[in-house]
Amino acid sequence: MTGVPLWMLLALGLFMFCTGAVGVIVRRNPVVVFMCIELMLNAVNLTFLAFARYSPSPMLSGEAVTQSAMAGQMMVIFVMAVAAAEVAVGLGIIMAIFRLRNEVDLDEMSAMQG
Amino acid sequence: MDIELSSIWWVIGLPLIGFLIQALCGKIVVDALGPKLGKKIMGTLAVLPIAIAFIIGVLITVKLTGWDAGRRDFVLTLFDWITLKSLHVPFEVLIDPLSMTMVLIITGIGALIHLYATGYMSEEKEYTRFFCYLNLFIAFMLVLVLGNNLVMLFIGWEGVGLCSYLLIGFWYKDLANAKAANKAFIVNRIGDWGMTLGMFLLVAFMAGNLDKLAEPGPRWLSYDVIFPNAIALLKDSPGVATAIALLLFVGAMGKSAQFPLYIWLPDAMAGPTPVSALIHAATMVTAGVFLLNRVHVIFEASPVASAFVACIGAFTALFAALIAFGQTDIKKVLAYSTVSQLGFMFIGVGAGGYWTGMFHVTTHAFFKALLFLGAGAVIHAMAHNQDMRNYGRLIKYLPITGATMIVGWLAIAGIAIPYSGEGAYGFAGFYSKEMILGVALGGHFAEWQGQYVAVWAGWLGLFVALLTALYMTRMTWLTFFGKEERWRLAPAEGHAHHDEHAHAHDHHGHDAHGHDHGDDPHRFFYTDEELERRAQAEGHEHHHDLTPEHTPREVYPSMWFPLVVLAILSLIGGYVLYKGELFKNWLYPEGLSLLKPEMVHEHPAGVPLLWLSIAAGMGGVIAGIAWYFRGLPRAEGWDLSKWSVFRRSAGNQFGFDHAMVEAGVDGGGAMARGLWRVFDVGVIDGVVNGVARTTRGFGKLLRLLQTGFVRSYALLMLVGGVALLGYFLYLMNRGVGGP
Repeated sequence: MTGVPLWMLLALGLFMFCTGAVGVIVRRNPVVVFMCIELMLNAVNLTFLAFARYSPSPMLSGEAVTQSAMAGQMMVIFVMAVAAAEVAVGLGIIMAIFRLRNEVDLDEMSAMQG
Repeated sequence: MDIELSSIWWVIGLPLIGFLIQALCGKIVVDALGPKLGKKIMGTLAVLPIAIAFIIGVLITVKLTGWDAGRRDFVLTLFDWITLKSLHVPFEVLIDPLSMTMVLIITGIGALIHLYATGYMSEEKEYTRFFCYLNLFIAFMLVLVLGNNLVMLFIGWEGVGLCSYLLIGFWYKDLANAKAANKAFIVNRIGDWGMTLGMFLLVAFMAGNLDKLAEPGPRWLSYDVIFPNAIALLKDSPGVATAIALLLFVGAMGKSAQFPLYIWLPDAMAGPTPVSALIHAATMVTAGVFLLNRVHVIFEASPVASAFVACIGAFTALFAALIAFGQTDIKKVLAYSTVSQLGFMFIGVGAGGYWTGMFHVTTHAFFKALLFLGAGAVIHAMAHNQDMRNYGRLIKYLPITGATMIVGWLAIAGIAIPYSGEGAYGFAGFYSKEMILGVALGGHFAEWQGQYVAVWAGWLGLFVALLTALYMTRMTWLTFFGKEERWRLAPAEGHAHHDEHAHAHDHHGHDAHGHDHGDDPHRFFYTDEELERRAQAEGHEHHHDLTPEHTPREVYPSMWFPLVVLAILSLIGGYVLYKGELFKNWLYPEGLSLLKPEMVHEHPAGVPLLWLSIAAGMGGVIAGIAWYFRGLPRAEGWDLSKWSVFRRSAGNQFGFDHAMVEAGVDGGGAMARGLWRVFDVGVIDGVVNGVARTTRGFGKLLRLLQTGFVRSYALLMLVGGVALLGYFLYLMNRGVGGP
């Protein structure tokens, strides 16, 4: 099998996930935070696809190999669907907060403080 | 005539049936037949059960005398009451000389007093309620004396306490009576506290030695199992014997009105006079002496406890006799003389002469019931005025009452005529008192730190015998003799002072608090509004119908007949029972269990007891007559300010009752407040609030974690996720490297 090797795909996924995680923690704009979350989700998606492509279980054979690869790809579709729903809801919440307070700084949204 | 022993159940059952008849049908019958006929029928129905019970008791006693002296005890079981695996408490009676003696006193004297009460209470509206309580009392008293285990004794003990309470407060609408009833009940509770502890200790002691019983079995709370075994068991543990004996004696102190728990008995005179005669003189108050006779094995094992009993008895006898000198109410004099005579009984019991205590119980039942009933007749004839200062020369108007009461007076004073040889013919009280003094003076049993305490108690008792003769002469002379008919002399003045005087006595000087309602300073019984409403309803009407023109009239035959019977008993009863040591051989035919006859006997060496007791009785009577021959001395008259310091303080019980009640009520209040402060506020509230405070403290700490910053939560989640991942990796690695 030729093309991009598995470790490169995984390294890219790791880089994207770390970037996303750091972004979620350091940024104060919820829209950017959302974008970072998307980045993390896509890093995971990439990892799923890479494994689906490269690493069928050595225990399986024949049709089971195909099914195993399909399982990874289906998971990606699920994640995309869930992420889309999440963005829809999340952006709605952000809009509502903006209407209420005229700003969307995450650090200002600490009304649930104990 | 032969009689089945099982008919003993009728002795308990008949008064109980009588109680049920009075309680269930009494009001209906009286309402239906009119007060006159209805009361006659219900009165008869009240007397009959007791009289029949007495006849059955006599027949059983006669049967008992036919048996061998040492084998006169018989246990009858009605049903199994409490059944546990290792403990059976049957409902059973013990027929033996002691219980039958008490049965005869209770039913015999009880029947006479019931008969008397049908006359005495004839104008009472709630006639059947009275007899309902009275019959119930007899039933409980019989359970007390006949029961064959401590549990039944306790039922009877509490039952008679209840009836005593109900009867003292029979005229409960009068606040003083309700208070007296409460006082009696509460003071008795103090005694019962000791008694229950003593019983628990005895039960625990028995339970701890179950394997050492002669015949192991589940009935180990019955007397016939406890006492034969206790002789052997208690010998090895005198400390336990002393503890049990002292605690049981606390119960006896409460019921038998010994110092310092005597304070309820004088107040108990608030009840109708037949009640005072039956419950507070003849039967219930002697339950303490009966108890000590019943458990005499335990007291025999403890000379220290016996010495304590003798001491308390002697002091009570002296103290009450002194108080009696300051009393003007005829029933109060008799009440204190009862307390004093009970003290005598405990001198005898403490000295180890248990039969002497019972002998005095018997003779005292005769003459004290007689005196009380006679006093009741006098009170009845004198328009319910109880102040002796308003009496005088009543023998002219009340010949039968007077004659019988004179017999009672001479009996309690212990008058006897010596005859050639070493004996004396005397009234009933003489023999029993002499026996008690003899046992005490010759006592080599009641020992405390090497001292034979009973001997000192005996000498004190001899002095009290003199005092007894003196104050009883005072009472009799002021009532029946003298030249003046004092209710004709200064009634207006007399009545005014009488009220004042009674107030000072009956209300324990609570007036000193300066409350508006001297009657009820602590508001135990009525609120202010209730008191006001009562005052308005009743007005200031006092029922003093004793006018100068009053002519006392001799009482009904139903009232003087019991007096005559009791007078005959007081006259010859003592002699009959004393002769040939009949009473001792009846109660203790084989002597005591532990004590040897030479330790307890009635003939002290080197003391001319016979002459001393005759001198005490005669001397008291003669001195009393000399003192009161000229009528009421000014120093005891209506004007309290002319009284001597001794008499005034005696009339006030030397301040003891006042101090006790104050200490009880105010001290109890202070203690309760202290407990509330320490225990309620400190411990209970402390625990509750402490739990709350601790929880809040934790909450405060945890709250610091909730910053509200989304980004820090995200960071924590990341850290947590990484940590979890790391942990799984660690587990996987270990799993790979493991076996």
